[in-house]
Amino acid sequence: MAILEKVDKLHQAIAWQGDIPITNRYTAGVAGERFLREIKDHARILGTRCPDCDLVYVPAALFCERCFAQLDEWLEVSSQGRVFTFTVLFRDLEDRPLDPPAVLAYVKLNGSNGGLVHYLGEVEPDQVFIGLEVEAVFKEASEREGSILDIRYFRPLKR
Amino acid sequence: MTRKVAIVGIGYTGCRPLTAEVSYKELVYEAAVKAYEDAGLDPRRDVDSFVTVAEDFIEGTSIFDEYTPDQLGGMLKPNVTIPGEGIHGLATAYLQIASGLVDVVVVEAHSKASNVLTLPHITAYAMDPVYNRPLQANPIFIAGMEMNRYMWATGATQEQCAQVVVKNKRCALYNPTAAYGANLEIDDVLAAEMVAYPLGRQEISPHADGAVVLVLAAGEVAESLTDLPIWIRGIGWCNDAPSLETRGWGRAIYAEGAGKMAYQMAGIRNPMEEIDFAELDDTYAYKELQHLEALGFCQFGEAGILTAEGVTEPGGALPVNVSGGNLGCGHLLDAAGLRAVVEVVLQLRGEAGSHQLPDVETGLAFGWRGLPSTSGAVVILSN
Repeated sequence: MAILEKVDKLHQAIAWQGDIPITNRYTAGVAGERFLREIKDHARILGTRCPDCDLVYVPAALFCERCFAQLDEWLEVSSQGRVFTFTVLFRDLEDRPLDPPAVLAYVKLNGSNGGLVHYLGEVEPDQVFIGLEVEAVFKEASEREGSILDIRYFRPLKR
Repeated sequence: MTRKVAIVGIGYTGCRPLTAEVSYKELVYEAAVKAYEDAGLDPRRDVDSFVTVAEDFIEGTSIFDEYTPDQLGGMLKPNVTIPGEGIHGLATAYLQIASGLVDVVVVEAHSKASNVLTLPHITAYAMDPVYNRPLQANPIFIAGMEMNRYMWATGATQEQCAQVVVKNKRCALYNPTAAYGANLEIDDVLAAEMVAYPLGRQEISPHADGAVVLVLAAGEVAESLTDLPIWIRGIGWCNDAPSLETRGWGRAIYAEGAGKMAYQMAGIRNPMEEIDFAELDDTYAYKELQHLEALGFCQFGEAGILTAEGVTEPGGALPVNVSGGNLGCGHLLDAAGLRAVVEVVLQLRGEAGSHQLPDVETGLAFGWRGLPSTSGAVVILSN
């Protein structure tokens, strides 16, 4: 940069490296608590319905983002659905190659207007397509702890 | 009654992959000195208020608004820092003048991307902590999923997306401030390493370091300062549903909303007829196609075809990203939208040098906040 004194060797440029530990708690909330507890206790997926907008939210929400009404109509939705969109991911969080690559999808769950973003399993990447019918594979009850990871992945529906 | 507002000064460092010799403050200082020289102003005497656009996690400094006044010459004066796209900051500055509060406002955004060592982690930390973040996936997966759905919904092809890369990187060869110009063929783009299918490495804009400072002034002040004020005719911003589970995916709904707001203000009914050229966010190649459609330059699903036909080339009916865009210049993080504004201003002044477009009167710049956001802002400028 012309306006500054010249540094013409990269190793002459001084830099300081810093990092800090960042740890947070994220309260699941009124709707999130019931949604995740139902997955943990019963391997079932719940949604909330907005009667005015005729929308079923999954993950369940306490309020409708369209009309802002508070939602109290809870219903069970299917743990099966269709791949709305997907990707095959070749890089991990450190930007290193991911081997094998991971398949991620947004699965729209039957009986709802929402769904879950998750991994697909028990399928080759080149067998995945938009519209593929899939189902949630839950961990054993003893392993479940009230997290989205209580679902191992979604896999193609066996016929 | 709102007042007219013009851009009367631009300062821009250009885009570079590395700026090892300067701190972020010095990078901004260079852009600020250039902007005040361009506007013919002394910031200590003539500027009323300062707006910085910055995001703490990217800066690596919490409460970053404590670190913004000095490099702009703004100490002991009104300052505000907002996190957002650079054009959100431009809108903030615009409103301060249009409302009559002040007469001259500076807006700044910068990127020291080469100092950000864990950007995928920072982006991952922007995802929903309960429903999405536990997957621990590199957030580029969201772009792969969006591109896939967009292509499925529109029939756009990987070749058409690759054409955006070819065009923008070739344009960058004519822009001396661009860092990543290249002469590629479609096959070169398609042969690149796959990152998040169907998104390949060449379709992802590489980051760059750089800073942008703009000086805005109220109508009568602007006319006294310069013979070439560039007028803000319309400005708008919008958010789609933020969650991955309820957003639009195929359509860039945030850009539709932002465009509607800006077009109404500018009185523009037919963007393709009334706007001469555009700088549109192309963080990922398919985003340029999405944004062309969302901003009403064509129908949903037509952008890929128009691109293949050359409509958005520098010699086409609507030149798009003649600067090289983010793909060719380098992505300046939150400053990307303001870099696009600089290009529009240069074109409207007739100062774009080797990549000057002939006879342009109205240009548009659109910025997207980046993954995982559904947030964007747009400005329409005329000479």
